[in-house]
Amino acid sequence: MKRLTYLTCSLIVACMVAAMVGWSMAAGNFLVPVVAIPLGIIVILACRAQVDIVMADEREKRIRSKAALRTLEVVVIGGAIAAIILYSFVVSIPLSPIITGKLFLNDDGTQSMTIAEYKPGSVPGPQTLVRSNTIKNLNAMNETEAMTYCTYVREGFSENENRGLAGTVIGCGLAALLATFGVFYLYYNRKY
Amino acid sequence: MKNRIRVLRAEHDMTQEQLAEFVGVTRNTIISMEKNKYCPSLKLAYRIARLFGVGIDDVFTYEEEIDGPSGDDE
Repeated sequence: MKRLTYLTCSLIVACMVAAMVGWSMAAGNFLVPVVAIPLGIIVILACRAQVDIVMADEREKRIRSKAALRTLEVVVIGGAIAAIILYSFVVSIPLSPIITGKLFLNDDGTQSMTIAEYKPGSVPGPQTLVRSNTIKNLNAMNETEAMTYCTYVREGFSENENRGLAGTVIGCGLAALLATFGVFYLYYNRKY
Repeated sequence: MKNRIRVLRAEHDMTQEQLAEFVGVTRNTIISMEKNKYCPSLKLAYRIARLFGVGIDDVFTYEEEIDGPSGDDE
């Protein structure tokens, strides 16, 4: 079997396994992946055993290991910078939106409150206003007004929190990647 | 590391493909070695030398200036 034939077979098997796993997940049948994935691996390994040319020699392995190491370095450095930048949206005060609440005494003696959100790092004013909402009677607010009041701050910060979450995910992913690298490094260090 | 693989191959009337097949590497590796871009591992160097029936010193000459990926750690 030639290299191209082997790669084509592997691609077809991988597509079939992916389709079966996808279908089984949608159908709620968890038995199919348990059978399909090992079967796919066996078929690919059997195809690989039939390949009669050199698939990867020492130069190829050397190039792959160098490429993998460079990829790891670039991903770790780039990912760490991205994670720090994204997480800084959560902890940085200038990057957070400015939310103010002002109480007013109405003519009839009731109190009203205006909650306003301004652009991050700006001076509160009409030019930097993102949105505002007024609760006409603070002591007799209806359900919608109460919900608005409760969720206003959370909604204001949600964009920053999403960025922070993305930063945390990237950070955790990098930590997992480095941990995996460390495990393999120790393994090969002991082996050779 | 400089080498005489191209010369020895010509002397033995052997193609790059044939040499690659005999020593168990890809043709690209033979091409890289002939261009002095890749330093083979000791194992591969001995295999090539034995195939041509010469000593390893007759195939490879060590020169410090030439730098390239080495297969010595294989």
